[in-house]
Amino acid sequence: MPVETPKLHVVAVGSVDDGKSTLIGRLLYETGHLRGDEIEAVEEASRKRGRKGIDLALLTDGLRAEREQGITIDVAYRSFDANGRRILLGDAPGHVQYTRNMVTAAAGADAAILLVDAKNGTTAQTRRHLAICGMLGVRDVIACVNKIDLVDYDEARFIEIADELVASAAQIDGPRITAIPLSALNGVNLTEHSPETPWYDGPTVLEVLHDLDPPVIETAFRMPVQWVIRHDEGTHDIRGLAGRIDSGAVTVGDEIVALPSGATSRIARIDVLGDERESASAPLSVTLHLEDDIDVSRGDVIALAAEPPLVATRIRATVAWLDEQPLTIPARLEARQSTRTVPVIVEELHERLELDTMEHVPTDVLEANDLGVVSILAAQPLVLETYADNRALGSLMLIDPATNRSVAAVMVSNVLAG
Amino acid sequence: MTMLTEMTTLDVLEAEAVHVIRECAAECERPVLLFSGGKDSIVLAHLAIKAFAPAGLPFPLMHVDTGHNFPEVIEYRDRFATDVDERLIVAKVQDSIDQGRVQDETGLHASRNRLQTTTLLDAIAEHRFDACFGGARRDEERSRAKERFFSHRDAFGQWDPRNQRPEPWTIYNTKLRNGEHFRVFPLSNWTEIDIWSYIEREGLELPSIYFAHEREVFLRAGMLLAAVEEIERLPHEKVFTETVRFRTVGDMTCTGSIASTAATVAAVIEETRNSDVSERGASRADDKTSEAAMEDRKRNGYF
Repeated sequence: MPVETPKLHVVAVGSVDDGKSTLIGRLLYETGHLRGDEIEAVEEASRKRGRKGIDLALLTDGLRAEREQGITIDVAYRSFDANGRRILLGDAPGHVQYTRNMVTAAAGADAAILLVDAKNGTTAQTRRHLAICGMLGVRDVIACVNKIDLVDYDEARFIEIADELVASAAQIDGPRITAIPLSALNGVNLTEHSPETPWYDGPTVLEVLHDLDPPVIETAFRMPVQWVIRHDEGTHDIRGLAGRIDSGAVTVGDEIVALPSGATSRIARIDVLGDERESASAPLSVTLHLEDDIDVSRGDVIALAAEPPLVATRIRATVAWLDEQPLTIPARLEARQSTRTVPVIVEELHERLELDTMEHVPTDVLEANDLGVVSILAAQPLVLETYADNRALGSLMLIDPATNRSVAAVMVSNVLAG
Repeated sequence: MTMLTEMTTLDVLEAEAVHVIRECAAECERPVLLFSGGKDSIVLAHLAIKAFAPAGLPFPLMHVDTGHNFPEVIEYRDRFATDVDERLIVAKVQDSIDQGRVQDETGLHASRNRLQTTTLLDAIAEHRFDACFGGARRDEERSRAKERFFSHRDAFGQWDPRNQRPEPWTIYNTKLRNGEHFRVFPLSNWTEIDIWSYIEREGLELPSIYFAHEREVFLRAGMLLAAVEEIERLPHEKVFTETVRFRTVGDMTCTGSIASTAATVAAVIEETRNSDVSERGASRADDKTSEAAMEDRKRNGYF
């Protein structure tokens, strides 16, 4: 039985200028995560830019170009301890141009803080980020209607935006939404309830972070082999299968299958980085020793023989297209999946998500930052599951071998026969 | 044998770091682990050894030696490599100076810290390394907070922070062209406290200068620098004896100590928790030159 993982990954997303960096800076500041000299450095940087008071956005906007332009270009990560748990906070960029960095930040996130400017309301970029969170399986979205002070703490405006977000999420079968009226700049409803919004009796941002559910770890045991450790120990040659358990747990004596070959054996020994154990679970890095000397190498997946994943070459999947060069079919690319890299062909392009209406429409091209649905054929069998069943085996990255660029994040929706 | 036990944050961070180390070893042709004898690189080397035990490391260790390192650290470095029986390459800044590749700085703020970049890039080219493991952490500095686990460097060793590769989930694009390399940061998500807690948990030995000791120092820009001949002093910069320790270990010319009586790992953890100054703020003079000092050095190929 998997145990709770004491680490959560939360990402702040939304349109440019909606206040993500300010929110993260303020949250760290108000919860005592900033040290004296870090605060001084931000104060100094604020003065240099002629700001009145302290501009906490300058804390995570760590690149020169970001501070010059007052925007976030790439994701910044900060560790944050809340309620006895470690939260890795990612500050994602809002510009459409940097969507690839937002995808980097949101893939693997357990929850997202989605900021919306109370004055401007939801934009295509708000919906894009919401849709990406939905595709990536982010369970919870803390929807912050920010700069509520600029609309005079108007409850009706808050409800209007919150309803829009809930409706958009429902259209794409998206994440759970908790809406909060917020002023990140003034700390309204961030860590403390504000008298400015007496009509709001829901949680603060910090309270929601405290109460987040632990990360979902799927229960079926899967471990991709990263490396085979060979060691000559006197009379016999040791072969250890090194990898990280993606999901589930394994116990000495369990019957396992190595895929795609299908060879079976039993677990003889479990070594958790020098500590011999009876069993181990995700997300630990381990070395497994088998009873039989079966042929296993990097790229193979070890699973319980009773509940194996699928082996296939054809999938239907949703993609976030990240490259400036648009996707047209057929596209010959490389897929990195689990610990395998194989040539693939994107054979069909079924549809694209129209962000204004949140409807799927037929298309023959995906431009940079578009979300769509494709069919992919792999040159060699892959050990797969749908993304909904298993994040690790259901996710791929596409690389263009001509440029070495990472061009798409892919989530398997169906594993097809053949 | 133990049964399934509850996991701690350190267990998860350890598993993550080992995953990254194994991925890099499997995907890259010629990795190297940058080992300075500092606490982060000691933790990193320890994790790497664990990742491949009982076999040895599939890559060497390398130290870029400025020639101005603390003697306690150099002694530790050599002993560590002997104890773990791994290959240690020492790339010397002095050699780069002798070959005319760089010029030694002079004057009050002379430091070989910046010169290390050339020595490092030359060593990478000479040994044809395509991946350098480093112990950098995202909590150290705000441009570090922007780093990927696999951080791409072009043929000139440059980092292009505006055009980093997407890194969704734990899938890494490890493709390189000739002459390019990666800097790989398995400790990205660790904090200073995590490092110390792990050192305590694993019972790791550290160079003695991390713990309280008496030393001749002088005060400059709010930092206690070691009174050594490698640093030129102004007449008013008086030398005195203080009980100090170092929070980071780097080139003597730019690494400050703090007044401290913390003589054990537990005492250091307690002191670090209560400190109102960050690690770099307490000990790195080189970051005080401009607010983007680290980013600029990194763009040019620094660690």
